[in-house]
Amino acid sequence: MKALCWVGKSKVEIQTVDDPRILNPHDAIIKVTRTAICGSDLHLFNGFIPTMEEGDILGHEFMGIVEEIGKDVTNLKRGDRAVVPFTIACGKCGFCKKKIWSARDNTNPNAHLMEAAYGYSGSGLFGFSHMMGGYAGGQAQYVRVPFANIGPLKIENNLPDEKVLFLSDVLPTGFMAAENARIQEGDTVAVWGCGPVGQFAIASAFMLGAGRVIAIDRLPERLELARSLGAITVDYSEEDVSVLTALRDLTGGTGPDACIDAVGLEAHSSDLQGIYDVVKTALMLETDRPSVLRQAIQAVRKGGTLSIPGVYGGLLDKVPFGAAFGKGITMKMGQTNMHTYMKPLLERIEEGQIDPAYIISHRISLEEAPEMYKVWRDKKENVTKIVIDPWAETMAA
Amino acid sequence: MSEPLNEKPNAKELPTLGSAGVMLDGRYLPPPEDKAGKIWIRTSTRVEAEAEDLYAIWRDVEAAPLWQEQITRVTKTGEATSRWVMQSGDKTIEWDSEVLADEPGHRIAWRSIGGESDNAGEVIFEVAPGGRGTMVTVLQEFRMGKLASAWETFVGRNPKQAVIENLRHFKAFAETGEIPRTQGQPHGSRGVIAGIKESVYSEKVPTPPALSRKAS
Repeated sequence: MKALCWVGKSKVEIQTVDDPRILNPHDAIIKVTRTAICGSDLHLFNGFIPTMEEGDILGHEFMGIVEEIGKDVTNLKRGDRAVVPFTIACGKCGFCKKKIWSARDNTNPNAHLMEAAYGYSGSGLFGFSHMMGGYAGGQAQYVRVPFANIGPLKIENNLPDEKVLFLSDVLPTGFMAAENARIQEGDTVAVWGCGPVGQFAIASAFMLGAGRVIAIDRLPERLELARSLGAITVDYSEEDVSVLTALRDLTGGTGPDACIDAVGLEAHSSDLQGIYDVVKTALMLETDRPSVLRQAIQAVRKGGTLSIPGVYGGLLDKVPFGAAFGKGITMKMGQTNMHTYMKPLLERIEEGQIDPAYIISHRISLEEAPEMYKVWRDKKENVTKIVIDPWAETMAA
Repeated sequence: MSEPLNEKPNAKELPTLGSAGVMLDGRYLPPPEDKAGKIWIRTSTRVEAEAEDLYAIWRDVEAAPLWQEQITRVTKTGEATSRWVMQSGDKTIEWDSEVLADEPGHRIAWRSIGGESDNAGEVIFEVAPGGRGTMVTVLQEFRMGKLASAWETFVGRNPKQAVIENLRHFKAFAETGEIPRTQGQPHGSRGVIAGIKESVYSEKVPTPPALSRKAS
């Protein structure tokens, strides 16, 4: 089959590799009909996530048709259509029983690597470094899905792939971000980053009762999408715009009730602290560039909530923890507990409350994907979301 | 509360502290330190299963290759004795083992009695706090020089880490019936550095087959 392989920092290519096969009794093989490139794939592309190996197949947002099942898979059969969550759950451990799906114990064959780095290991993820399990990802024509009796959500309606594909990651992630923000009816919510997760966080904040949502980004196409949802937008790259001042101005001086950092470890910042972080990460004195996190802690109102769906990888510097303590804020974060949200969100899509396909800007073939990684990284061509059909012949760009 | 291991496997100079018990009389007991050629590892996990069932899986020594890394064959040679075969890279080693203490549903202790491995160990199964499954604690001792330990680490898995991994496999096996694996999945061409990383990450150590893959 054809698959998109990570070759090294800033380099991915399409290679012909072996087809996946059933390795464990709860495995399924899925023929991928649609897959997407996630913002977090750029952390891998840009070399920010350790324990990548040359030849790793990327991709954790995918869906398709069940091709083959292991002998203990009872909920799926050949020919079923399913969306696969990016986190792999066993369904049996103490964490799964508590529905902390992203923390489960039994799905990461390389748990010791994550324990060495983080103290504890979370679940395995598709196509997201060997520390996270080293599982081959779904930017390929076929993919092996372990614990298929727990993860995949069967799609039994006629909705096109594009409307349900984002149940694999970004829609539940955006929704959990809004839920973690503990929104009360009428709250003002600020969202940093208007990429796909930020978009769905904005949409979900409104669904959960927010009175005002303030969206912060620098890319016009993203800000336009945010406004289309009803958000007030702040372009931080504009001259004379200070995000902190803007948030005070838009909240009568108190600050947003909740702040959502949908940016994470590779935040861009044009001011002095941005330069500081670039220098420190280059010298390997810190691993992440946490300028959004710093700003969100400063911006949120006293007693407010900070929700962090943006990915952080390691050690952060100059985080104003005194301000966090002084204001008594609550922080909630972490990988998405996918399995809690997929089915209720599918119902919201079926009821027409949200159509996630509105974020798609590019539809491409697998062969075009390596070039599109660069476009996605550089935010060219007004890109907002790239969806791949792994079986399409190369289309005219 | 666990009793300390008093059988003193292998040698009389074993400390009486050598128990898999993490607590004694309400106090936390730190794990024993390595010294004089003895390597110790103590590790624990919480399993969503009954202690009796977990004891039964562990006590079935001939089934150990299903969930223990690099153990290729175990043969019972008596009521309390068995012959173990381990494959590490190209090297095969064999030893005999005897069960020193056997408390059904609660505790098993063992030691090697000749052959190419000098080891002793204990596993304790206890109801976890709040009745949330079973706490499984393993204490394993090896007699092995630093050089030999470093060599094992280089060619496959550090011996201490192997005990931790085996307990992890045991938990996955008991809870889900399988052990997570990636060996055998597709990938693009691996360069030299990726090969080194695979070794360093211990990804070349074969994942034990688990029950349903007995045939292969």
